[in-house]
Amino acid sequence: MTRNHSVIYSGILLTIALLAVLGASDLRAQGRTASEVTISGKIIDAADGYPLIGVSVMADGKGAFTDIDGKYELKLPAGKCTVTFSYIGYKNVVKEFTGKNTSAFSRIVMESSATELADVVVTGVYERKKESFTGSSATFKGDELKSLGSQNVLQGLKTLDPSFKIMESNLFGSNPNMMPDIEIRGKTSVMGLKEEYGSDPNQPLFILDGFETDIETVMNLNSNRIASVTILKDAASTAIYGSKASNGVVVIETKAPARGRLQISYKGDFGLSLADLSDYNLMNSSEKLQFETMAGVYRDNTGDPFKQIILDNLRNERLKNISMGVDTYWLSEPIRTGFTNKHNVYVEGGEDKIRYGIGLSYGGVQGVMKGSERNTIEGNIDLIYRTGKFQFSNKLTINSLSTANPIVSFEEYANANPYYMKYGVGGGIEKYLYYPSENIDDYPVSNPLWNAHLNNYDKTAGFGFTNNFIFEWFILKELRFRAKFGIKKNDENQQVRLSPEHTQFDDVGETEKGLYTHTLTKDFAYEGDFALTYGKLFAEKHMVNAVGGFNFSNQKYLDYSYSATGFTEDQFDAPSFANGYPEGGSPEYKETHKRAVSFYLNGGYSYDERYLLDVNYRLDGASMFGAENRFRNTWSVGLGWNIHKEKFLSDRTDFFQMLKLRASAGNPGNQNFSAYRAFSTYKFNGWMTNVFGAGVIVKTLGNKGLAWQETINYDAGADITFWGSRINLTFDYFWKNTDPLLAIISTKGSMGVTTIAMNAGCQKTDGWEATFKISPVYRPSEGINWNISLNATSSKSRYANIGNAFNSLNESGKTSLVGTTRYYDGGSPTAIWAVRSAGIDPATGKELFIKKDGTYSFTYDVDDEVVVGDTQPKVEGVLGTTLYYKGFSVGCYFRYSLGGQIFNSSLFRKVENIGTEEVYNNQDKRALYDRWSPDHREAYFKGISMVQKTDKSSRFVMDENTLTGESFNIGYEFPDRMIRKLHISALSLQMSLNDIFRISSVRVERGIDYPFARNVSFSIGVTF
Amino acid sequence: MTKRTIYTIILTLLPLCFCGCGKWLDIKPYDEMAEGDLLSTENGFIRLLNGIYIELNAEALYGGALTVEMVEIMGGAYAIGTDNAVWGNFSDLSEYKYGTDYWRQRFSSTWNKAYAMILNCNLLLENIDKEEKQHLFSGDNRNIIKGEALALRAMLHFDMLRMFGPVYSNSPESLSIPYYMAYTTTPEALLPASEVAGKIVTDLKNARILLSSDPVRTEGTRMEAPADGTSNFLYYRSLRLNYYAVTGLLARASLYFGDKASAFAYASEVIGTSASGIFPFVDRTLVTGSPDDPDRIFSSEVIFALSHARRNEIFKNYFDPSRMPNYVFRMNNDVFSRLIYGGSLTGGSQDDYRCRANWIASGTNRYFYKYSDMVETGNIRNTMIPLVRLGEMYLIAAESQSENLGNGLQYVNTLRSKRGVSSLPSLTRELLQYEYIRELYGEGQLFFMYKRMFAPILKSATGNDPQPSNEIFVVPLPDTETQN
Repeated sequence: MTRNHSVIYSGILLTIALLAVLGASDLRAQGRTASEVTISGKIIDAADGYPLIGVSVMADGKGAFTDIDGKYELKLPAGKCTVTFSYIGYKNVVKEFTGKNTSAFSRIVMESSATELADVVVTGVYERKKESFTGSSATFKGDELKSLGSQNVLQGLKTLDPSFKIMESNLFGSNPNMMPDIEIRGKTSVMGLKEEYGSDPNQPLFILDGFETDIETVMNLNSNRIASVTILKDAASTAIYGSKASNGVVVIETKAPARGRLQISYKGDFGLSLADLSDYNLMNSSEKLQFETMAGVYRDNTGDPFKQIILDNLRNERLKNISMGVDTYWLSEPIRTGFTNKHNVYVEGGEDKIRYGIGLSYGGVQGVMKGSERNTIEGNIDLIYRTGKFQFSNKLTINSLSTANPIVSFEEYANANPYYMKYGVGGGIEKYLYYPSENIDDYPVSNPLWNAHLNNYDKTAGFGFTNNFIFEWFILKELRFRAKFGIKKNDENQQVRLSPEHTQFDDVGETEKGLYTHTLTKDFAYEGDFALTYGKLFAEKHMVNAVGGFNFSNQKYLDYSYSATGFTEDQFDAPSFANGYPEGGSPEYKETHKRAVSFYLNGGYSYDERYLLDVNYRLDGASMFGAENRFRNTWSVGLGWNIHKEKFLSDRTDFFQMLKLRASAGNPGNQNFSAYRAFSTYKFNGWMTNVFGAGVIVKTLGNKGLAWQETINYDAGADITFWGSRINLTFDYFWKNTDPLLAIISTKGSMGVTTIAMNAGCQKTDGWEATFKISPVYRPSEGINWNISLNATSSKSRYANIGNAFNSLNESGKTSLVGTTRYYDGGSPTAIWAVRSAGIDPATGKELFIKKDGTYSFTYDVDDEVVVGDTQPKVEGVLGTTLYYKGFSVGCYFRYSLGGQIFNSSLFRKVENIGTEEVYNNQDKRALYDRWSPDHREAYFKGISMVQKTDKSSRFVMDENTLTGESFNIGYEFPDRMIRKLHISALSLQMSLNDIFRISSVRVERGIDYPFARNVSFSIGVTF
Repeated sequence: MTKRTIYTIILTLLPLCFCGCGKWLDIKPYDEMAEGDLLSTENGFIRLLNGIYIELNAEALYGGALTVEMVEIMGGAYAIGTDNAVWGNFSDLSEYKYGTDYWRQRFSSTWNKAYAMILNCNLLLENIDKEEKQHLFSGDNRNIIKGEALALRAMLHFDMLRMFGPVYSNSPESLSIPYYMAYTTTPEALLPASEVAGKIVTDLKNARILLSSDPVRTEGTRMEAPADGTSNFLYYRSLRLNYYAVTGLLARASLYFGDKASAFAYASEVIGTSASGIFPFVDRTLVTGSPDDPDRIFSSEVIFALSHARRNEIFKNYFDPSRMPNYVFRMNNDVFSRLIYGGSLTGGSQDDYRCRANWIASGTNRYFYKYSDMVETGNIRNTMIPLVRLGEMYLIAAESQSENLGNGLQYVNTLRSKRGVSSLPSLTRELLQYEYIRELYGEGQLFFMYKRMFAPILKSATGNDPQPSNEIFVVPLPDTETQN
């Protein structure tokens, strides 16, 4: 009950706060003087002649806004004064009022300034001029992102903003169907939770057209539809999203239909993807055989002369093949040149009351591996209707998706030995590359081409729609009401089929061969939002903005799957041909249902555009918070100082166009741990009943005392623009403390569960990021502009107060073959822990270790582990340059990363640690060379051996510095005079190269299951 | 509308939004049962209790590890070979190599499963004691449910103590295992064995009081469904930890903890019940009569058993001679013919009902058929895995004769007379052990008997037996318990 009360109290507090703000305006409105002149008129858009709503008109301490018809009225004292018209995204209009020229104010034309869009911060809840906003954020226009030629929106953001990081997956490479892990300003959560919950706890929140969305929708979005993307980074800008915002927010706005005559535009992208195999360094056939011989593969250890003869024959046969020229390059087999084509047609138009836009997009992406595809079709209808003081707008998107993944991973090809032939004597694909003769203890080696050529598949088809409806009521000039309602539904069907002839089923009975798995996922969500927006300038100096609102959301997700087995033939794959269900198999069903409600309040105040204050408060209630902890608070405060507006500076010099200092603090939370509940749940035993009937046992344990993760976030920054806007500098220092951390830790088995969600210590991160932009040549009137930009970021994290909570993770990490991450107080989440190595002792060929106390030893002891590196680079960022010359544009972006370390797993797995099983796989060339032997004592690697285990030591930790050619593009926009005859109003062409090269100080295999790709693309845009 | 009216309307409407959200946020999951929903009726508690009984049939618990498999191998019951291809990891266990990866993992999963069931008991107990739930129960059901849950918790702790705790007779004060009396998110500390013993006995005694009006005391075990088709909750009492099962567990625990007087008193009470016909000795004709349908587990004597729907799989997985050339669990031939069911001074005879019902010859070997199905299907006897039986009560009564084992001779001989074999002239520890083996073979009690007596584990007829030691009798705690 007390909870309920506090909710009501909070509500009343919010109400009072709002009342105070609104009431103040009423008082202001009272004070009118007698000798007034009224000016009135209509403000219209220079581009299409339509009225502009909400333009602020200010003069002599009075202010007004235009209404729904673009009309305004302002009473001015008789006498001279200056009237300023300003509107977000438009150039200011300043007119002198002489006391009489009222007619000069009846029609005001305002020009849009597209370049100034970046000067507006779009948070998805409210919009604010960047100049008067205290938060740390970055806004990019759709065209800006588009010009990079990236595969999707997120890839482009990575190039433009240093804080936005896409974690490269060494395992999944450039697989178009894998959703990347994304971080804004580093991690706030302990790793390892993704495995537990399927959702990445460090992923930012995505907002599309004002509604929460998921990363897959963002990845599928045709980049031609995007109007702008805003990254919100610090507490002042993200706190409006409360308990979901601690990882930052990405706000995406799609284009709204433009007014005017019917316009048809077409945008086409055509691309090629090529696999980047330059990091593979595999042996050729004679090298491999030599390596195997040295490792003792062809020596029988039992001393049995008969077996020795078999082994000798085997070797001789392979030798013979090699001498005949057999040297198979397996890596090229699953690879192709992927062709990408994306099309977008958009028809738009309308008049004063109704505007419409109808779009159709198609995206066909072929991955660089054969059988890897992702096709999207998207149709959208945008409608805007205005009448009187009301505006209705609706965006409907219908999308369909089909994907396919290869069944055989790239690694299987990389493992195949080069001395095997791809095809048999008859030219057909054989099941085995090698089948051992009966008298020898050996395993058959299957042919990756065999499994690849069968009727196997892994395909997904999806269909969904999103409908977002927004109602706006312009109640008063300064007061606006907005109601939003969005529905999103998405169904996906995944079918995975393994043929009965797949080598996986070699050892099972006929009725268990082949496997078909069908998975159905259904996702349904709705979200509603009511908000009041208030903005008014008092006494010419006090600008007050306020937004108060209420938001509710509901999401239901279910996952339903079954498997069937016992297929007889490769060809016939219908599930009805199955013999039955796998033994003991039952359908799987998982349902997740979440609900949340929030109340929020944002207030912005600026005094004379010099001193700025932003305040946010949000109260979040969510179903997974549990009944006793239903609501949580988020707050933030931001302060700013526009020094360039200060008289002492602006009177003396106009050198600075902007010189702003800002700082913020707040406590956004993290809701990505959705699966966890506050109450216990039960399930049927399932596997048995008895005479008493069914029984139930506990399924998941609730934990009422669990506190949700919260990140205290401080930010201090500066935005500086000077030298006639030629130099831009943005700098931010941030400090974050996630306290408490929420972690899944393994427990004592006697607690009845093996893992438990727990609050354990905290994680502190501090770092900085900077963007520097200079335009050595800046002649906008001639269409000539040359920019150079450099952005950089650096951050450090460490754990505190975690004590022994992660002891078992540390212990299992120490004993496992891989895994160099440890959890200790003061340690970094990205630190590499290993025993220091002094190299290979030339005399004995053994590795010499350095113990904790600095002494040397031949014995490896896990307790000597220290930090030997950190995968987090000291500094990383992008260096870019763009040149515009009368319609031509050229851009180059290079990504650099300096001062990090890497545990070279290629050396660890494929040079040393090649055991009796791995020796049958092809290996890195370095496994043959630079190995210790009595004849080559000064070696970096141990001698060749199949039995010697190598432990994790600093010998495999290397400094990694990389330079990547992230984006090169060249474009041309045809001038009007050239295309007018063709009845074309705009025509542009572009070519870009992405990830075209990568130079690294470490040679390590990248893209284990799926290779990385280089991309070339061509784009065309036509508007009729 | 004036501005003032507009603001007034807005401000009066706003607080309305704040009401009613709390309820909207309460979501009941569909694919699982929320605790609040499940435990809102008597039937919910009954389902949860039954769920625990069912889960005890898991292979990590009494459906394998704690009856026929792991603990019985440790008790030396089976002749385990050394050929890896046939015997796999069993060879290591029969040599008491508890440290291998496989067995560490196996002990760990038994431990985890046992404590997971203890957790279920504690959740049930926590809820049943709540004030608002008192009115849910009809008749004496609340006491019965609570009593059984308490007894289950005690039994599981007791078996973990016997497995992982010290040899109690030597070092009762050594640290042993944790005892969980409530659901908690912080782990409990390891306690000295004597403290665990105290808690086990307390829980069992409380359970016994709660079960004092158990219908088994007046109506017997009632091993069939009620004729009127009503709930069978208070029927099939020997498939539940009934009043006498708890008394039997108290006898077993008291003996293990060296309290022989109590052990004798509790065992005597159960024996006395048998005389009044609640747990009658098995009918001779059911054992030796129709060879297809012998009552191999002597079901009328079973005081507490689990009901395993596919019990025949236990026979097929471990004992069925047609498993050859794979491993088959059976007794060492010499031990069988010279000590247990043969030999001059051992009291062994092949006429013993226990031999005739359970041991079938095939070639020169005898195979163990206790868990094999009868021809007649659908019989509840075919599902029972006995955990407490009458025979053990006689042997406990004999063993608990203070100082002079000879005083217990009468109990052993009474039991023997019901097995169709002649009386023993005198009683020694070895003779008592042989009787335990005959009575409880394949039921997971033998290892604990040797541990209780700190005696060599009988594995051969030639005295070549593993000598008692802590290395053999004390299984190391699982890694997850010591490392976290």
